[in-house]
Amino acid sequence: MTARTTARAESAGLHIENLVVRFGGVTAVNHLTMHAPIGSVTGLIGPNGAGKTTTFNACSGANSPSEGKITFDGHDLSGAPASARAKFGIGRTFQRIELYDSLTVAENVALGREARLAGVSPITQLIPRRGERAAIAKATEEAMAQCGITEVAKARAGRLSTGQRRLVELARALAGDFRLLLLDEPSSGLDATESDAFTTLLKSVVAELGIGILIVEHDMTVISGLCDYAYVLDFGQLLFEGLPNDVLTSDLVRKAYLGTEDLGIHAPDDEIVEANA
Amino acid sequence: MDVWLPFIVVGITAGAVYGLAGVGLVLTYRTSGVFNFAHGALATAGAYLFFELWVKNDVPWFLAAVISVLIVGVLFGFVLERVARRLAKAAPSVIVVATVGLLLIIQGITSKRYGAETITIDSFLPTETFEVSVNVGYNQLIIVLVGIVIAVGLGLLLSRTRIGIAMRGVVDDSDLMELTGLDGAAVRRLAWMIGGSVAVISGILLAPIVGLDPIRLTYLVVQAFGAAAIGRFRSLPWTFVGGLIIGVVAAIGQKLESEHTSLAGLPSSVPFFALFGVLLLVGKRGLPTAAPVRRQQPEHFAPLPLPIRAGAGIALGVVVIFLPNLVDARLAVYTSACGLAIMFLSLSLLVKMSAQVSLCHAAFVAVGAVAFSRLSTEANLPWFLALLGAGLITVPLGLIVALPAVRLAGIYLALATFAFGLLMENLIYRKSFMFPQGGTRDAPRPDIPGVGLANDKQYFYVAVAILAAVIVLVLILQRSRLGRLLRALADSPLALSTYGTGTTTTLMLLFAISAFFAGIAGGVIAVGNGAAGPGGLGSLQSLLWVAVIAITGMNLVRSSILAALALVVLPSYLADLDADYQAIGFGVLAILASLITASGFDPVTWIKDNLAGSSRVGTKGPIPQRGADAGWRRASSSRKAPAPAREEAPELAMSGGDR
Repeated sequence: MTARTTARAESAGLHIENLVVRFGGVTAVNHLTMHAPIGSVTGLIGPNGAGKTTTFNACSGANSPSEGKITFDGHDLSGAPASARAKFGIGRTFQRIELYDSLTVAENVALGREARLAGVSPITQLIPRRGERAAIAKATEEAMAQCGITEVAKARAGRLSTGQRRLVELARALAGDFRLLLLDEPSSGLDATESDAFTTLLKSVVAELGIGILIVEHDMTVISGLCDYAYVLDFGQLLFEGLPNDVLTSDLVRKAYLGTEDLGIHAPDDEIVEANA
Repeated sequence: MDVWLPFIVVGITAGAVYGLAGVGLVLTYRTSGVFNFAHGALATAGAYLFFELWVKNDVPWFLAAVISVLIVGVLFGFVLERVARRLAKAAPSVIVVATVGLLLIIQGITSKRYGAETITIDSFLPTETFEVSVNVGYNQLIIVLVGIVIAVGLGLLLSRTRIGIAMRGVVDDSDLMELTGLDGAAVRRLAWMIGGSVAVISGILLAPIVGLDPIRLTYLVVQAFGAAAIGRFRSLPWTFVGGLIIGVVAAIGQKLESEHTSLAGLPSSVPFFALFGVLLLVGKRGLPTAAPVRRQQPEHFAPLPLPIRAGAGIALGVVVIFLPNLVDARLAVYTSACGLAIMFLSLSLLVKMSAQVSLCHAAFVAVGAVAFSRLSTEANLPWFLALLGAGLITVPLGLIVALPAVRLAGIYLALATFAFGLLMENLIYRKSFMFPQGGTRDAPRPDIPGVGLANDKQYFYVAVAILAAVIVLVLILQRSRLGRLLRALADSPLALSTYGTGTTTTLMLLFAISAFFAGIAGGVIAVGNGAAGPGGLGSLQSLLWVAVIAITGMNLVRSSILAALALVVLPSYLADLDADYQAIGFGVLAILASLITASGFDPVTWIKDNLAGSSRVGTKGPIPQRGADAGWRRASSSRKAPAPAREEAPELAMSGGDR
């Protein structure tokens, strides 16, 4: 309610209010409230099984919330199918990379835009409207150049290394002309060098395109180098929120990461995977 | 009530056998991840061996049964486990093809050796009756008891014993289970041997009830599918109960059928209703998920250089124009190959382009054939309009089959479409609007202006022209937006819907288009045969078609034409080759092709990489390394040394997962 009545800037972006997601008897996410505005990078961090990917899936429509409300630019997304969220302007990447492996890199990136233009109507899925072909080609070129994958444009996505596949996924999301990107552990499977380069790339993307990013991460160095604001989840509940530096120095957060000094631990995520599998 | 009791007794007896067959099926599926379409064929093989020993060689029935169980059940189970191990992570269509291959081999051998006619076989169990409030045969009692004992025994084995728990563990995480010191392969082998033995026992028990008939016994698998569906492909006790339900409902239906002719075909359709209904109602979330699939990489649509394509096209055109003079009497075979190629194009849109499957394509073709016949003879539409109408009338059927495609995936989609095909065959084919009393309908040739009705040669050209038109349409589709969406759908439906495409619409369009072409194929084939009839359009034919299209490569057009030539033209040149040997041959090829596919070996890629030189711009070659100036992979200032594990080979990355 408050989002509607206050200033426009407040209602822009993704609002999660009192989100609860249960799987059988397990409450994966418990009364989470957060906001990911357009034009800045919001981090969502937490240890394994904290409910990060579950929150993500609720935002992108891959699972349905048990309680609470998710709105984007004032549109209620809670019951909308996955394809409708893309229409409103939310794109996402996957922790377990979901590329079209038998298609070329260029085709993958182009589908970031074309899948959205095709929509749900049989007519738009069969016949492109006037001018769409050119728009797709232009967006594809730009996104591939931005991510530095133009050289492998003709290679099949299934034959690339994990680092390159992450870049293709990002390029596909950028080509989609979304206003908010949900990035699910984009640095998992990358080495430190690749991870740094990825962070730099994301920063330039936000600066150039003015889009918003909600990023789920494990790696604290990525969070501190990239995010404008961060939320920390633990056992499905909001543990802490604040500026990245405050997160890094918070005792609560340290404890959640098992008291370890090195918050840059880079472990594979074993989070509850449901629709993703 | 007295009127019903005898039917219920018969139903329970048959149901116990169905339940038993279902239990064996679920056991192997749950332990190996391989859904065995040849489960009923194992029962067939066992029953025929039993017949051979007991009736033909006077071996005592008990000994004959034991030998049959040992040879077919245990030995086949042993061999099948070795095959299944290689298939466990393959795509569902590959598994369907391999097990259908086995089914074709067994059916071919039995029908070659014993003929296709039903052989009645006496009951080896005592047939004296006792009275409860209805006469019950001791044989019936024994069958039910055997069923209960085996089902309960296996249920206890799975839930109570160490080896049983291992069997349940092996499907969830084979590697983890082996850490506990149990040999996963041995556990699976045992499950297959038990499953095979149970199949053979059900076959032997069923043989005196329904008679020895290669097709009817093979279709025991369908009753087993129905029972397994009621057990949600998971629970052994519920699967057995499911078998009993199907048996009893079918028997009651039989009584009703004898009183109301409008119900003809309904009782024998009970298992298909159970299978189709349960699958649709439950949906993929309620069913056990199969092992993660390693998808076959489709051949990339990189065209050959233009001069070569043009040259090949002209050469092919010349051959086609002079073909009628070259082949004389065999022209009819080539004409029907054209119709069949259209059907294969329609099927490969599903199987090859979109990673879907349809095991009811023969029903599409049958409806198209009838629609064409009635539109041209009864509605008196011009020939081409009638053909177009045949395609359009088949579209709603495609939309019905799109429903399971939306709700289900993989093996369950295959099963649902198979059940739908069986329902069509059993219930709809015999209706007066289709093939009254299994008869045929006229399918007239086109009337060519100034010439009159087309003769053999002219109709051949007409069929070629229609095939060419369909090929052009398929090529356009492949390059269109929908084509891209479908190829994307094959790789990752999740990504496609997340990026904004309503995949339900995409699947509806796909099945509608596929059904349209199958309907056209039905018309063309019917005219080639001179009549539209149900012959050769049974559900087994749908299985055969999927098996054949699977072994002819990934290119849609080339593989469809090859499949049609292999199915009808090739046998016509091998005069001695009868249908049984042909089935066996396709079966062997299907199994080999599945094993090769599942091993990840792609012959087309291999030939291109190793034999064809490197002149073509490769999409298969190594990815060009990015220069140091681009700054991505080679950026020099790294805080940590790159972990060796990240430097994985592209082949590893192909599996798509990074976990």
